[in-house]
Amino acid sequence: MILARGELYDTGAQDQILQGLEAEIDQTRRTQTLPAETVIRAIGRLRDALADGLFDRQLDALELDGVEQYKRMALLLLSRENIEYKLRVELGADFFKPRRTAPPHGQPSIRTQAMPLGTLLHIAAGNVDGLPAFSLAEGLLTGNVNILKLPQADNGLSLEIIQTLLEIEPALRDFVYVFDTPSSDLAAMQRMAAVADGIVVWGGDAAVAAARRLAPLGARLIEWGHKLGFAYISGYEDEPAELAALAEHIASTRQLLCSSCQTIFLDTARMEDLHAFCDKFLPVLERAVRRHAPTSLGGRAETTLRRYYDTLAQILGGAPEAGMFRGDGCSLTACEDSALALSGLAGNCLVKRLPREQIFSLRRQKGYLQTAGLLCTPERRETLTQLLARCGVTRITRAGNMSAMFSGEAHDGDYPLRRYVRMVDIE
Amino acid sequence: MRYRRKLFGVKHAFDTRTTEDLFVLAMRENCQFHYDHCAPYRRILQHYQFSPDGLTGVDDLARLPCLPTLLFKRHRLYSLPRRRMLIRATSSGTSGQFSEIGFEPGGLLCGLEMVLRIGRLRGLFSPVPCHYILFGYQPHRGNRTAVTKTAFGATLFTPALSRTYALRYSNGAYSADLDHIIRAIVRHARSRFPLRMMGFPSYTYFTLKKMQQQGIRLTLARGSKILLGGGWKQFYTEQVDKQTFYSLAAEVLGLADADIVEFFGAVEHPILYCDCARHHFHVPAYSRVLIRDVQTLAPLPNGQPGLVNLLTPMVAATPILSVMTDDLGVLHDGAECGCGLDSPYLEILGRVGLRDIKTCAAGAAELLEKLRL
Repeated sequence: MILARGELYDTGAQDQILQGLEAEIDQTRRTQTLPAETVIRAIGRLRDALADGLFDRQLDALELDGVEQYKRMALLLLSRENIEYKLRVELGADFFKPRRTAPPHGQPSIRTQAMPLGTLLHIAAGNVDGLPAFSLAEGLLTGNVNILKLPQADNGLSLEIIQTLLEIEPALRDFVYVFDTPSSDLAAMQRMAAVADGIVVWGGDAAVAAARRLAPLGARLIEWGHKLGFAYISGYEDEPAELAALAEHIASTRQLLCSSCQTIFLDTARMEDLHAFCDKFLPVLERAVRRHAPTSLGGRAETTLRRYYDTLAQILGGAPEAGMFRGDGCSLTACEDSALALSGLAGNCLVKRLPREQIFSLRRQKGYLQTAGLLCTPERRETLTQLLARCGVTRITRAGNMSAMFSGEAHDGDYPLRRYVRMVDIE
Repeated sequence: MRYRRKLFGVKHAFDTRTTEDLFVLAMRENCQFHYDHCAPYRRILQHYQFSPDGLTGVDDLARLPCLPTLLFKRHRLYSLPRRRMLIRATSSGTSGQFSEIGFEPGGLLCGLEMVLRIGRLRGLFSPVPCHYILFGYQPHRGNRTAVTKTAFGATLFTPALSRTYALRYSNGAYSADLDHIIRAIVRHARSRFPLRMMGFPSYTYFTLKKMQQQGIRLTLARGSKILLGGGWKQFYTEQVDKQTFYSLAAEVLGLADADIVEFFGAVEHPILYCDCARHHFHVPAYSRVLIRDVQTLAPLPNGQPGLVNLLTPMVAATPILSVMTDDLGVLHDGAECGCGLDSPYLEILGRVGLRDIKTCAAGAAELLEKLRL
């Protein structure tokens, strides 16, 4: 399905819509302004609808584990106060109000006016339900015209949310185009990219690389690529509680988020310390994984299949993988190297040595750095925090909160809304 | 492999009832062969203390250790040296990890016999030459995916007058050209010879939809057909409501419901699943399906959803005699269909974990394959 100016069209109408796209968008941008307040109000009413259970049927159909928690999170995220706070943090108060500069030394004053970047093409990933709608909302809040390319795995929820939003606030209609074009339809993707001033891409290296090839010169690339989270352990404040919190984090996110812990680094140079840690941490992780066993049919099947595969792979592999500590439904692997790496996911974590003095070597993986969960003695916390910050990490949290959402936080080191606007100076 | 020859020689392609003993014998023979010739496979069976002799009745099939498709993606398991494999086919994995399954001449011969029998039942063969439209990849040396091979193979059902490909290979890459396809369909509609279209349901649907919008209304020559196929993947993720599809084909091409034949298969289970007149996928005599409990992997009775385990003694080159897919499905009693075939039919519900996977960790390519942008 395609959504253009509030109307639904069949996928077959794609060529026709793309043909008129530039002229339509030009018309909108020439004659209309979308105030943030209009968007905030619409989102607020969407939130009320969500609270009233408007999307319950669709959410139930997703058969997600922990759907109630998703809903609670969405209600909080979409509240007027929260969105206004986001705008204030990322752009400052009254950002779109023109202001005059007052430079020193009697230099001439000019008028500065913030404007939307123009037209944003969002290439959304399918890994989080509702993410495409979220990306679109950020584009709308900054007054942009948005072209959203849905991920192929989208289950229809995004489109329903967006349709409801446009129904609530018809003033948004001319600012939203949604296509379900497959990425393989390069010609269509190129036509979308051609009219865009900014391309917002969510996804892995392949998706980002594809977007780079697609982007016309002069279009701003806004990349929300995949990241790797890690925990760094250099002593404890309250060892049992902190290890339990880390295990809980690993099990509850199943290590599938950018912020999820993939590698646990220990502040040591000795392999024996890694082995001792694995022995100690494995039962803790085992308990957490058991508590978070998936309940949906697909989730349970996946766990069973993975476990069965692991057993077979072990039989074929002969001796068990060196350094691997196997638990029920989870594992820890003590590795020789010190590189940040992707784990086996779903309760399978890597454990590596990284003495304090060598933390800075993480810098080499700059493209993947995001969250560090820091477990350490109180007197080391500030020093280690600063060291991690200097080497390129953009979020530093406590053990259990690696994937927690903090209102007012940046996204991968950036304030997204800032990337979706531009400043115009007028003499 | 005399029981295999016998099994693939049975008269009725969907006779799963009277072929039960024969199926077990053929499975035992096949299992013994892999046990003797594939050391890794032997290790797995030994680990589960399963001996090929243990296959004496139909209930023993569930005890035979099944191998997940993922295992074939990460390990190359063969029971014959490469030189004795006539072809090696790969699954259309997009992430760089794909299964490679070898086929020996004997197995392929059985496959041919199977295709002939099933095809005859569904009226796929005709001496009348046809024009072919293929909604798939134009074959070329670098593309070994089974989809390409089966699509080409399907053009051998009748003599081919022409073959037009939707995904054309040029300058080292495939690109889709629907307008080119539509022009070809319109051109062939004027021919006295039938037209057959073959390929992924989604592409076929897009094309018909586009033709509908352009106001194109054709009446294809008698004997024209739409053959829908692809991998398991296309089978459910791009589900177009079937009735919508049939009425669209009737409107644009003048085809009847019965002229649309759907089939699917997988490299790891190269059995042709072809739909019946009521568009259900009955299990053919050469294959058995077990639905396993998602927790315990114990076999489930018909009507209950679980993991889909597919069994066939067709291939000697690779131990794919019992393969566990990552699909969830249900097996229905044949009688529920009402088409006259009494072998049970398989309904695929979706892929394992698809709805739970929320990954944005880098390089989780194998998981991301399911969530392609």
